[in-house]
Amino acid sequence: MIDAVITLTRLILGLSAVFFLGYAGLTRFIPRPRDFAGGERAAFSFGVGALVITFWMLALTWWRVTFSLGWILGPPMALAVVLLLAPRGRVALSEDLRRFHFSPFAELQGWDWLFLGLLGAMFLYVLLRAVLYPMWAWDAVATWGCKARIFYTSRSLDLTCIDAHNYYPNFIPLLLSYLYFCLGRVNDAVAKAVFPLFGGLLLTLLYSLGRRLGLRRSQALGLTAFLALNGTVFIVHLYIAYADLPLAFFTLGGAGLLYLWLAEAAPRGSLTLAACCLAGMAWCKYEGPPLAATLILAAALTLGWLRAAGWLRRLGYLAVPLGGLMVGYLPWRFFTVQQKIDIGADHIQSFYPHQLVQAICYLVQGLAEPFYFGFLWPALALALIFSGRRLWRSPRLFLALFVVGNLAAILLAYAVAPTSAAEFPAYVRATLDRLLLHLTPVAALILALGLKDLGAETVST
Amino acid sequence: MRVILALWGLQVVWLIWHFGPEAGRLARRVAQREAGVAIRQENPLFRWAGALQAVIPKHATYVFLDDYAAGKEIQVRYFLAPRRHLLMSPQVPASFLFYTLHQTDASFLLMRKTAQPPGPGVQAARHCPAFQPLHLPGPGRAFRVNARLLHWGFYD
Repeated sequence: MIDAVITLTRLILGLSAVFFLGYAGLTRFIPRPRDFAGGERAAFSFGVGALVITFWMLALTWWRVTFSLGWILGPPMALAVVLLLAPRGRVALSEDLRRFHFSPFAELQGWDWLFLGLLGAMFLYVLLRAVLYPMWAWDAVATWGCKARIFYTSRSLDLTCIDAHNYYPNFIPLLLSYLYFCLGRVNDAVAKAVFPLFGGLLLTLLYSLGRRLGLRRSQALGLTAFLALNGTVFIVHLYIAYADLPLAFFTLGGAGLLYLWLAEAAPRGSLTLAACCLAGMAWCKYEGPPLAATLILAAALTLGWLRAAGWLRRLGYLAVPLGGLMVGYLPWRFFTVQQKIDIGADHIQSFYPHQLVQAICYLVQGLAEPFYFGFLWPALALALIFSGRRLWRSPRLFLALFVVGNLAAILLAYAVAPTSAAEFPAYVRATLDRLLLHLTPVAALILALGLKDLGAETVST
Repeated sequence: MRVILALWGLQVVWLIWHFGPEAGRLARRVAQREAGVAIRQENPLFRWAGALQAVIPKHATYVFLDDYAAGKEIQVRYFLAPRRHLLMSPQVPASFLFYTLHQTDASFLLMRKTAQPPGPGVQAARHCPAFQPLHLPGPGRAFRVNARLLHWGFYD
């Protein structure tokens, strides 16, 4: 019993340190953090904090410093304290302490209770499922968890003893190994709590963005429940320790902030935060950099298409998220070059038209079959259809371009995948749901805009 | 809108039905205070890997003969990390298996017990003095390998 309490305390302290680092970072990156809602700040604090810790661990590897909790947390914590003692940090901290109030259940009504109850029941299930069971899912055991275990036992980013896609970015393995350092041993069950946390923060962010887009509280809560409890994929990813959920989290952050910026409804510092999210996407998973690049491309195309006043100047501002993408991508890229780690060129060899045709069938099936994502994708199709001319004349074009463009990119990726005819169906089955998961939170943002339109039409009639 | 909401409602009921049995098992485990390592120990493969962990030194290299798609090698590898591992097909020819063991200075050879007849490499290993069987209970077979006793030549 005492051991369990100590383990839980260590886990909470380790996760709190991540929040603290990110919180201090936000006071540096954002002119006035309170322009963001509490849920948004919590989500971005954790995301930024996790990036700081894992990049710092990469830097320690570069300098051949052996991992220890003191080295991993000491210097970043010292920097965080300095940031919070700086004038901007002091102002942000004192404002937060002065105005702090936490009353999440105040003024809840009918539907709100239902949606919150459903979400609460789901989180109770996934949290227990995550922390009671050891790692068992394929990629968790074969790649992410195995690396985390080795990084912890070898006290370094040591890839010499395994060949588990060594060129993959190491955000998840390093974050898990950091938690092992906090726990004092490899406890893959307890460390998996970070995945429900990522899921919770993703949903918090979606709720907050929904509110920013003009949804009422019950609508925003309903949208959040609709994303979480639609099919099995999202729920399962809350406890299987894959990198796809954190990637979806950073994708939502990047897409949401870029959309608000395009709609000229973004708080100050949003582009810098979007840059952090794009860095997270690049550092999270091998698929992250192209996904992040399509966000920037979609934003640029939207600006060019809408040609609002000052669009050329705004096009230049996209250098900020592009810089974030580079910051997230280049350190690991340089490391792989320095360590002579082979990059997975096996993903692209030739174009196979028959695979493209097959992939279209599988994609339509994946989007329509309720087992995977429930009715999320059919609802998205309806939202896009009912958007009408608003789709072409507003920044929601950015979100649509991103989602539709990436669906096309998924097809293209399957068309160039070097698999045998016998392996291809299994290859698609093992990957398609995850690739779609990266896009689902952004699809939910389009649904939010559709809901807003619906509300406006109801009011006007 | 109402149609989508109704379908979603039905779908939530289906989700409860889908995850219900697992939620029941979770509740039982919480009541019986079974977690983490205790659950892992229910799997004979991990008990076998645990026994191997005590035998194979941390800096040793082992060769595992299995099909990657079976997904068992990755579980054993996870448990035995950071020991260096090599995955080879169960049907590997003896010459290539012995060459690999010699070149990588591997000191253990592991394989899963399957219904399929052993491949030529395993058959040759059974009759070679360089391989000493380890009698560990579980769903696999293990041999301690003295790579220096592997003489060059044709084994196929």
